[in-house]
Amino acid sequence: MAIESQYYLLLSAAIFCIGVYGILTRQNALLFLMSVELMLNAANINLVAFSFYHGNLTGQVFSLFTMALAAAEVAVGIGIVLVLYRNFEDIDVTKAATMRW
Amino acid sequence: MVVDIAGYRVADWVAMTPALVLGLTAMVLFIVDSIEPRPGSSSNAVLAGISTVGALGAFLLAGTFLVLGVGQPRGTGAVDLFNGQLVVDGMSLFFVVIVGSVTALVMLASYDYLDGESYQAEYYGLVIMAATGMAVMSSANSLATVFVALELSSLPSYALVAFVKENRGSVEAGLKYFLVGALSSSVLVYGISLVYAASGSLQLNAVAEALSGSVELVGVLGIGIIMVLLGVAFKTASVPFHFWAPEAYEGAPAPVSAFLSSASKAAGFVVAFRVFLTAFPEVGGLGGGEPVVDWVTAVTVLAVVTMTVGNFAAANQEKVKRMLAYSSVGHAGYVLIGLAALNTPDRGLVLGASMMHLLVYGFMNTGAFLFIALTDYWGVGRTFQDFNGLSEQAPLACAAMTVFLFSLAGLPIGGGFISKLYLLLGTVNAGAWLLAASLIVNSALSLFYYSRVVKAMWIEDSAGEFEIDSYPSSLYAAVVIAAFVTFALLPAFGLLSPSAFDAASVLFG
Repeated sequence: MAIESQYYLLLSAAIFCIGVYGILTRQNALLFLMSVELMLNAANINLVAFSFYHGNLTGQVFSLFTMALAAAEVAVGIGIVLVLYRNFEDIDVTKAATMRW
Repeated sequence: MVVDIAGYRVADWVAMTPALVLGLTAMVLFIVDSIEPRPGSSSNAVLAGISTVGALGAFLLAGTFLVLGVGQPRGTGAVDLFNGQLVVDGMSLFFVVIVGSVTALVMLASYDYLDGESYQAEYYGLVIMAATGMAVMSSANSLATVFVALELSSLPSYALVAFVKENRGSVEAGLKYFLVGALSSSVLVYGISLVYAASGSLQLNAVAEALSGSVELVGVLGIGIIMVLLGVAFKTASVPFHFWAPEAYEGAPAPVSAFLSSASKAAGFVVAFRVFLTAFPEVGGLGGGEPVVDWVTAVTVLAVVTMTVGNFAAANQEKVKRMLAYSSVGHAGYVLIGLAALNTPDRGLVLGASMMHLLVYGFMNTGAFLFIALTDYWGVGRTFQDFNGLSEQAPLACAAMTVFLFSLAGLPIGGGFISKLYLLLGTVNAGAWLLAASLIVNSALSLFYYSRVVKAMWIEDSAGEFEIDSYPSSLYAAVVIAAFVTFALLPAFGLLSPSAFDAASVLFG
């Protein structure tokens, strides 16, 4: 069984960083959403791995909540991306800049 | 399982009724909307009435519970629900009072603002849903319920900001709010997973217990705590996740800006207070030992930077709504003092001062944004110059706005003066001179840009471009009520502050 827990931490940190990199570099709103999913699932890896490490189910159950909320968040996000496309004829997040950042 | 409320022995979930009332109101709104004869034919008055009554009901229930001593040491003591996943105590009731009153004001004002718009039922339903999430946030006593409740308040808010679908500004604001929100909620949940890795539980008291001995994964815990702090900073519009605030508040419909900048901020702060003071007091060095993870210093830095960034940016704005948005960032910095100036035996005082500031802020800031809603309704422009001479045509509303702005600045015309005074007292007690100095400097600076609006309204001559032909009664009523309460909190501050100070001291055991 013995994959030590720090390897899970390394894996999840790597996935989290890939997600952050995606958010910082991508301009397409859908790729942005995918990067956010990566970050959320990095947290799920931690939760499940340390649920096993600590020997309780709290983390596993919470990871189910995280997945459900990630789905809900994407549902709202896709809706916003849709109205973005209708207004700006593009889903490039840098194009929507009528107000300055 | 049974608690004693004012002599009646009732089930313990009764203590959660303020949040339940809000949730039920949202359901009723959906039912009313779904049984309407034709799509979109529900009466605006009915929908606004139901939501105002629901929000007012939650506000009154929470207020009554607070008076009856529910959840407080003099009454039932803190009521734990679902094995401590939720807790009802003085602080949670106090914040439901804030959320309920802000929601009621915003719903009242929305009746006129939404007149003739489509998707009214969806609007009211989403606001009440978000308010439900905020009410649950104030009771959340586990990192799991914190996250779920926070998302319940965030997801409707994203949709609300982008509510005017054909308006580019509104959609852009919604997009930016959503992008920053999604990023910060994933940062928050990653932080939660790291805290779980180090402690093995999510329930806040159990986390504190697991961390009170020697901690194995100190580095992991430290990163986790900082990430949780950053995730909460989004909700409270504090640095570093503050940059959505000016965009979202400027682009959103003005009542939604009022709702987000007051209620949502308060809910974010109650989560910050509870998580950090229940789960991480020992690691932060509040138990008397050496801090393992010195989050108090981190919060101090955030508080000073947030105050300064918010106020200096506000001083450079051309549009009044955007100025108010940055000033709301600045106020988040003031409130953060409650988590930063803790190096004193009398910690309940400074935290209670933060809670009172949020209460007063709930009225004065909501009122200021609702005044902007009023000017939107009249079609007055958005820059400072557009407000020139407004007092000739709408003296009552302008007088109310003057009360809000001077109270926000901390002049003795509203409750904002006393709450800032208590915050200052708290920093002096703790010997936090940096915080005290930045509080004073920033308040003085804020007076400059708030008076620009007052000067435009009362002293400058109007360009004579517009003529106000209608006075929307419910919007007016909301603005005047908010102004009255802001002013009344100056003499009545002492009536409410003991419950805040008591609720705050309970958290320090």
